[in-house]
Amino acid sequence: MTDRTIDVIEAGVVPYAEALEWQRSLAAARIDGRLARDVILLLEHPPVVTLGRNARAGPVRGPRDLPVFEVERGGDVTFHGPGQLVGYPILDLGGYRRDLHWYLRTLEQALIDALAELEIPAERNPGYTGVWTRGGGRKIASIGVHVKQWVTWHGFALNVTTDLSHFDRIVPCGIPGVVMTSVERETGDGRREKDLWSDTVAAVIRGFEAAFGVTTQESSCSRSETY
Amino acid sequence: MATKVFMEALSPTMEEGRLVKWHKREGEVVKAGETLAEVETDKAIMDLVARADGVLRQVAVTEGQTVPVGNVVAVIAAPGENVDTSPAVAPVVSGSGGGRREALKDSPTVAGGGIARSAPTPVVAAPAAEAGRLRASPLAKRIAKEAGVDLQLVTGSGPGGRVVKRDLESAAGRAPAPASVPTALAPSPATGRESFRVSRLPSPERAEGAYQDVPLTQIRKTIAKRLATSLGPIPHFFLTTEVDMERAAEARDALNRQLGDRGKVSFNDVIVKATALALTKHRACNAWFQDDHIRYWNEVHIGMAVAVEDGLITPVIRHADLKALLEIGGEARDLAEKARNRRLQPSEYTGATFSVSNLGMFEIDQFTAVINPPEAGIIAVGSIAPKPVVWDGQVVPRRRMRITMSCDHRVIDGATGAAFLKTLKEMLENPLAMLL
Repeated sequence: MTDRTIDVIEAGVVPYAEALEWQRSLAAARIDGRLARDVILLLEHPPVVTLGRNARAGPVRGPRDLPVFEVERGGDVTFHGPGQLVGYPILDLGGYRRDLHWYLRTLEQALIDALAELEIPAERNPGYTGVWTRGGGRKIASIGVHVKQWVTWHGFALNVTTDLSHFDRIVPCGIPGVVMTSVERETGDGRREKDLWSDTVAAVIRGFEAAFGVTTQESSCSRSETY
Repeated sequence: MATKVFMEALSPTMEEGRLVKWHKREGEVVKAGETLAEVETDKAIMDLVARADGVLRQVAVTEGQTVPVGNVVAVIAAPGENVDTSPAVAPVVSGSGGGRREALKDSPTVAGGGIARSAPTPVVAAPAAEAGRLRASPLAKRIAKEAGVDLQLVTGSGPGGRVVKRDLESAAGRAPAPASVPTALAPSPATGRESFRVSRLPSPERAEGAYQDVPLTQIRKTIAKRLATSLGPIPHFFLTTEVDMERAAEARDALNRQLGDRGKVSFNDVIVKATALALTKHRACNAWFQDDHIRYWNEVHIGMAVAVEDGLITPVIRHADLKALLEIGGEARDLAEKARNRRLQPSEYTGATFSVSNLGMFEIDQFTAVINPPEAGIIAVGSIAPKPVVWDGQVVPRRRMRITMSCDHRVIDGATGAAFLKTLKEMLENPLAMLL
């Protein structure tokens, strides 16, 4: 479709506040033209609860041992933690379509295609942004985005090997009774966790390339490789 | 000339948007490009951005309210400008949501001159929501009367458009003047304070002796007294900067390869050395507060915070600016070892002119340190971690480190501390600068 290239940065485990600061500064650079290409950050967070702009007060149950962030993304409350692949695309939608509904649906398509590659049938659930399995019965990926001057940040969170019991402590996405699932639970074929993770990352990158019509260039920015 | 702020389309089919959050309040100064409010659709949030400089006025929409695309949600006016109060509804713009609406800007009624202190200003339009009836709080009325402000010309931000105290302060630009320390709390930009401060001290080449005592001037005395009583025994303030450590890391790696078995240079050694050298160029930060005078040191002795079993102690690396990296490293290790074994002599932990606290090895990204009196400053050094940053137009992973400087405001002003921190950052980002 196009010869557009996106930089994919795999950053390993990054604290939520740190990643938020990265996104905001990269988006600011993209808005004022200092950053020439679109970027996707792929990472994991230590356990954290975040509240989108739609979140009602008091959605967190149980012990208050998780940090809670109230942030500028769309959507309700969600959980991030180890084993969940978080993607933060910093895209200038001026180069695609200035249409946030198109953007949300295309993000969903990228994840649906990625899951198909992992042999997990997934779909949309009309009226409920995100990616679902089992005919809309289980939610596998959450989406919440922010855009300023058509540059995006925040993004998606796909459960790969996430400990799903954390979601019992919130009302994920503000939908009472929603059942969360993960790549691991849906495949259930006993693949090694490490392979499952790297296979999912690769599938998501390919899904993104196909859905947005881009090629990607990958680099690593992981703390564990510093010293 | 006023600029209307419209509800924008987040997608071509969107007919109305929900305003979820105001970032600016009525009466607040805004700059073009700044976010005014957030609008929501589905699970996406978009910023409504100011398209002009001015003051935000006539905020017509409350948080949570849904507004048709193209409707006016607020107006950006010049400070003091009077704007039309008729419920302005712009024609809905169809087509791409990216379409700009400059053509729709119009020029509402303008009253002259902003808010007059005492001179009568011609009233062109009565701006209050209900003309004829003045809505203002009793306090606002009293302030307006005392200051000779015509309340008719003030747009109220209270309930129902009532004029309240803050409207008078913000609209008239007559923020209460600080009583007697006009410049101490907030360093004003471009005052040249740094050069002023340094120029009172003889340059290092001409300086004689280990230190020199400069009597407190009247303003310094007042600053010392007032800030101490308002903030505590030492009025701290904090400055943070982020340092790119790629070149320092490369230099350190190269040095260590060359040294082989003869020793190792640590990041801490590099930071101590750079701090000492930066202090030689910023003597205003290398000082002690001494009740009725400030002692500006011509020598640099760096205190190095070391965690010990029952607390913390700061052994001192004397003349750190004059020592080689390996000397600093050797002394630092000896002193830390002695500190942990409680064998430090008083002469080894007193007399520092400035301190460094490094928690990088504990993977602390950023923190603040408490000043060790009588020293006037300390830097808190965080971990070195990779971060995707924009470098020559590209996003690249670079190793970065955050430094937070705590300053004793009785000695160091904002601009003074910032100038020191900038030199330190430059030295770490380009280690060859240490040779300059």
